[in-house]
Amino acid sequence: MPRDHAADILDPIAKEVVNNVGVWVDKEVVPVASEFEHADEFPEPLVNGMAEMGLFAIKIPEQYGGLDLSFECYAGVCIELARGWMSLAGVLNTHVLVAWAINAYGTEEQKENYLRRMVEPEIRAALSITEPDAGSDAQAIKTQARRDGDDYLISGQKMWVTNGQRAGVYLVLTKTEMDTTPPHKGISAFLVDAGTEGFTVGRKLEKLGYKGVETTELSFENARVPALNILGGSEGSGFQHVMSALEVGRINVASRGVGVAQAAFEDSIHYAQQRTAFGKPIAQHQAQQLRLAEMATKIRAARLLTFDAARKKDAGQRTDLDAGMAKLYATEVAQEVVLEAMRIHGGVGYSNELPLERYYRDAPVMVIAEGTSDIQKLVIARNLLREYQI
Amino acid sequence: MSINIIVCAKQVMDPETPSSAFSVDSDIKQVTPVQGIPPVVNGFCENAVEAALQIREAAGGGTVTVLSVGNEFVMDVMKKPLSMGADSMILIQDQLCENLDALGTVNVLSAAITRAGEFDLILCGQQASDWDNAHVPLGLSETLGIPCLTEAKNIEIGDDSVTVNSSRTDGYEVFEANLPALITVNNEIGEPRYPTLRGIMQASRKTPEILSLSDLGLSEDQMAPAMALSDLYIPVSEAQCEIIEGEDDADSGRLLALKLREAKII
Repeated sequence: MPRDHAADILDPIAKEVVNNVGVWVDKEVVPVASEFEHADEFPEPLVNGMAEMGLFAIKIPEQYGGLDLSFECYAGVCIELARGWMSLAGVLNTHVLVAWAINAYGTEEQKENYLRRMVEPEIRAALSITEPDAGSDAQAIKTQARRDGDDYLISGQKMWVTNGQRAGVYLVLTKTEMDTTPPHKGISAFLVDAGTEGFTVGRKLEKLGYKGVETTELSFENARVPALNILGGSEGSGFQHVMSALEVGRINVASRGVGVAQAAFEDSIHYAQQRTAFGKPIAQHQAQQLRLAEMATKIRAARLLTFDAARKKDAGQRTDLDAGMAKLYATEVAQEVVLEAMRIHGGVGYSNELPLERYYRDAPVMVIAEGTSDIQKLVIARNLLREYQI
Repeated sequence: MSINIIVCAKQVMDPETPSSAFSVDSDIKQVTPVQGIPPVVNGFCENAVEAALQIREAAGGGTVTVLSVGNEFVMDVMKKPLSMGADSMILIQDQLCENLDALGTVNVLSAAITRAGEFDLILCGQQASDWDNAHVPLGLSETLGIPCLTEAKNIEIGDDSVTVNSSRTDGYEVFEANLPALITVNNEIGEPRYPTLRGIMQASRKTPEILSLSDLGLSEDQMAPAMALSDLYIPVSEAQCEIIEGEDDADSGRLLALKLREAKII
């Protein structure tokens, strides 16, 4: 049944964009997503389709050739992509996040050099924070950048880099001062070009879900990067810049949670009207009706939280609290909803004949990536304690 | 080379509307609009827009103007051809256009096309998915006095002529006509492109020109239907299933054949 892909969106251009992306997802993504996913194959034709529509330019300002559409629009697009296949919204995430960071904090030279090439995109972008011994505690990174004349020499190991193999530029969090207090004052973010000597992309990590899009290790051995490539041009602000950019990532991941949950719900409500048990469609059994009602209510709440955070970001407001709440709730809802969907489907939902098993494997990464649920709760609590300080 | 194309496009009920939601009001002989399911641009009309854009691109210049007749347009829906890349849109919106028959639609479209000025080509969807009559394009070409080439699967523009490969059940026929001409297309002409985000942004800055029948100098009399709809209903379909059981598979097949012969199916 036709569904309003753009429900709850207020921006009229965003409505049209999201509706069109929704149509594209239904026609081009849904029929092939599981095939790509089961093969763990990068969905080149789908990513090309996203590029042709202009999705990679969605948050790049018009002065650099981009579209500069709203975060509300971006959230709606990510929901629709994830409704078809969560990995597609992941392909978009690091690119948009890095483009946003360059525009927000980069020097004019960095904007001219990178943003224009990220429109088509001639180059795609990846973000690299996590290390073998530093995840949620990002200030504990060990990758070091040492000054050497007009350059820096970067050495260290990075993990869990989405789009690691196909990116043209990487925003890499490093330590330029090892013993500062607080530690974040010694952290700087570098724009590192693919092919930089001393920089290699390591193995592709095998995962439970979130397949198709590659997740890699990165290795730096005295990789020489010009000092001009420090984001913003000066040392010591990298942690703040990247944490701020992660708010954009949290809107993306919250949207992915909504999209995956929506897909699981839609499959469930259709299946419940077809599958009969004890003489009638299971949708006529009260137990399933209660389940469907709870799923739909939670998805709608997650959707509204996500759009609310996006609209606050559009208004230029601080959004760590709102993006944190949206990300926390939407991704936890996705986990709950896919499990409830599995209960509605029974055995057939557990088979790889239906996409439900894919949603089930894709959901957990969202409660971990871009700040775990526990980290989101800390962000939320710290904001609340500040707001309600006595 | 520059070519000016007019595409006639119709807003119709979404053909993907589930049959369980579809109903008709037999008293007023109309399909009841389904709440919550917006209309769409007729599928073959989207093919016509795609064909027009391809012709304009191949010509290296020109204009694509989309023209539609109706009584209540949903602007988010009707702007899709603009998002795809059409240059402008003219909507004839009037209460009197609510239930136009083919002749009335032809009268309105021809008046609007005459008002719009010179054109080289008119493209129409082969038929609209609401009534599937396929009357309007033929009537329009007759009224405008231009050749009509139907079911084009390929269109090539010459200096003052157009060559069309028309689909037929056992192949295709090749026709040539002088410009201006009217051509109908279906899905064989090619899939409509997805609007790009840039296209949507550019379309948002364009405002369709909205005209009433009086703007076209048309009166209510000229909208009078040439034919009357005598009845409108959803046919009742009944399915009965009879299991033919024999002593073995061969016997079951023999009994099935007998049944089919009794029913004069074979």
